[in-house]
Amino acid sequence: MACHRTRSPVPVASKAPVAIVRAASYGTDLVDCLEQGAAACRLQARGKRVLLKPNLVECERGGVIHTQAELLAAAVELFERLGAAEVRIGEGPGHRRDALFLAEEAEYRRAIPGFDRRFTDLNRDDVARIAPFAGTDEIYLSRTALAADLVVSIARMKTHHWAGVTLAMKNLFGVVPGALYGWPKNHLHQVGIGRVAAELYRILPRSFGIVDGIVGMEGNGPVQGRARACGALVMGHDLAAVDATACRIMGIDPEKIEYLRLAATRGPVAEARIEQRGETIASVQTPFALIPEFQHLRLV
Amino acid sequence: MRPRRRLKRNLRRTPGGLLKSSPDRFWRPHSLNWRSMANCVPSRLALIETAQNADGGWGYFPGKESWLEPTVYALLALAGEPWAHQAIERAGCLLRSWEVGSGGWRGCARVTEAHWATSLMVTLHSAMGIYDGATRRGVDWLLSTRGAETRAVARLAHWLSPRTVEFDAALSGWPWEAGTSSWVEPTAHALMALSRVARRGEHAGLEGRIAMGQAMLLERRCRDGGWNYGNRRVLGADLPSQPETTALALMALDRHAEIRWGEMLDRVERQWHQTSSPLARAWLGACLLQYRGERPESPCRDLGGDILVRAVEAIPWNRILTAA
Repeated sequence: MACHRTRSPVPVASKAPVAIVRAASYGTDLVDCLEQGAAACRLQARGKRVLLKPNLVECERGGVIHTQAELLAAAVELFERLGAAEVRIGEGPGHRRDALFLAEEAEYRRAIPGFDRRFTDLNRDDVARIAPFAGTDEIYLSRTALAADLVVSIARMKTHHWAGVTLAMKNLFGVVPGALYGWPKNHLHQVGIGRVAAELYRILPRSFGIVDGIVGMEGNGPVQGRARACGALVMGHDLAAVDATACRIMGIDPEKIEYLRLAATRGPVAEARIEQRGETIASVQTPFALIPEFQHLRLV
Repeated sequence: MRPRRRLKRNLRRTPGGLLKSSPDRFWRPHSLNWRSMANCVPSRLALIETAQNADGGWGYFPGKESWLEPTVYALLALAGEPWAHQAIERAGCLLRSWEVGSGGWRGCARVTEAHWATSLMVTLHSAMGIYDGATRRGVDWLLSTRGAETRAVARLAHWLSPRTVEFDAALSGWPWEAGTSSWVEPTAHALMALSRVARRGEHAGLEGRIAMGQAMLLERRCRDGGWNYGNRRVLGADLPSQPETTALALMALDRHAEIRWGEMLDRVERQWHQTSSPLARAWLGACLLQYRGERPESPCRDLGGDILVRAVEAIPWNRILTAA
């Protein structure tokens, strides 16, 4: 696409700002929390076409699989307050096809006025070809996502039984169209979860990450794990830096997560390359339980 | 005549003759309303027709680019309507241009490879009485496509770590995309397509492949009796079934002896009433229509612009899948 840009390697000397904001529950003034984080990261959205990308891989009413409705609603309000020209919501769920049903179950339609008007099912969107992709010839991605001025990945802080964790970067899998790659998007697993996440991070540089650790998921995530309260939001422009910080909060070594190791060639993952703003990692650190296969990921 | 008696008489007239031929009892009197959706179908068909794109195809939603899957469903829904012949002709021109030289059809104009919805095209051709070179090449493409789990490397990985995903690696269905593993939905569509072609008796190798695909579906059945999107047990944990994939698997297992049909169709009917997913309800209704000749009444509710759901709810699956 003519208008498309990819991420260039970040100069080693510069540090990526990442904000950690305390939020004890979903009953907190989440718009205020997000505004604090946005200000700390100097987030600019005026005049931009913003795509909010929640995670709806599956949904269990009242469960902790998906992005919380209250947080998504607060993000809509944040970007409207910041003067965005358009705030859309898009998701291509990884397991079940009926995205609007999942949105209903997740209570997005109740929490967000005009949800249906804002929403695009990225699994069944128009597509554009990106070539090459992660060592393969090509991939097709949602045009809505590629055309956005800012893609905001809003993910719950979760462990993942294949990737170790699923945070803002892995959440980008939702821009890959299920209409071509299926439910689940097995193609991405064949190419390699780590390679795909790192490559999507390269392809979608105009992004912002919000990781919801108010209540996350530990153990056998991303679907069958247990709730784990951490009481914090992690926010920043650089998704690798956001995810690396979220990992450290979870007690996980980000440099042992394949997709972050791969992303480290373009973005900041090492602690020395991230400027922590707001709360410190230590003040909110909450070790998440890991399945036996991933005990080696534990931060020492 | 009382409505229930009339319905039983109509069921005996359904092409499959299920009420008479099955040893199991498909029909169970039900207190819920079983009137047909006849009042809703015309309005759905009209909405489908108005959503046709200039290129002759349909997108998943009005105004979106054309894709193979919604286009085929729209055609299956419109095929019996004389007033829709121009729309059908235009779509036919587009679909002919989407045939891939090596067999199969592309998923949309932007993608050049054959797409999993090739199975839907084979079903469409069968429904329209077409068995031409394109159909044969489509069938050949389906016969040459199988899940990657049967490859030596995948079988070795599964042998080394059988608990990761529990399945019989000797049984293969169909993948969403060539080179990936088998999943329930593409396998179900391929089985429905090949089963219809097999009745012609003109294509070699179909029966064995159909039996293998059905065996794969049966082996992937969840502990709760239905089907998830493809696996039943991952990392030692049982996966729950989903209504839409359960309906599709049952549609593909056409009267298979290992299914307790009466029990399963009662369950499908209960799920139809319980689910709030329009897509799940559309497939559950299609399953009931295929086996019981009627689907529960669905209010003419606002389905948004989802062409696929509208079309699946308007397709006469009992005629398409059970007719010889």
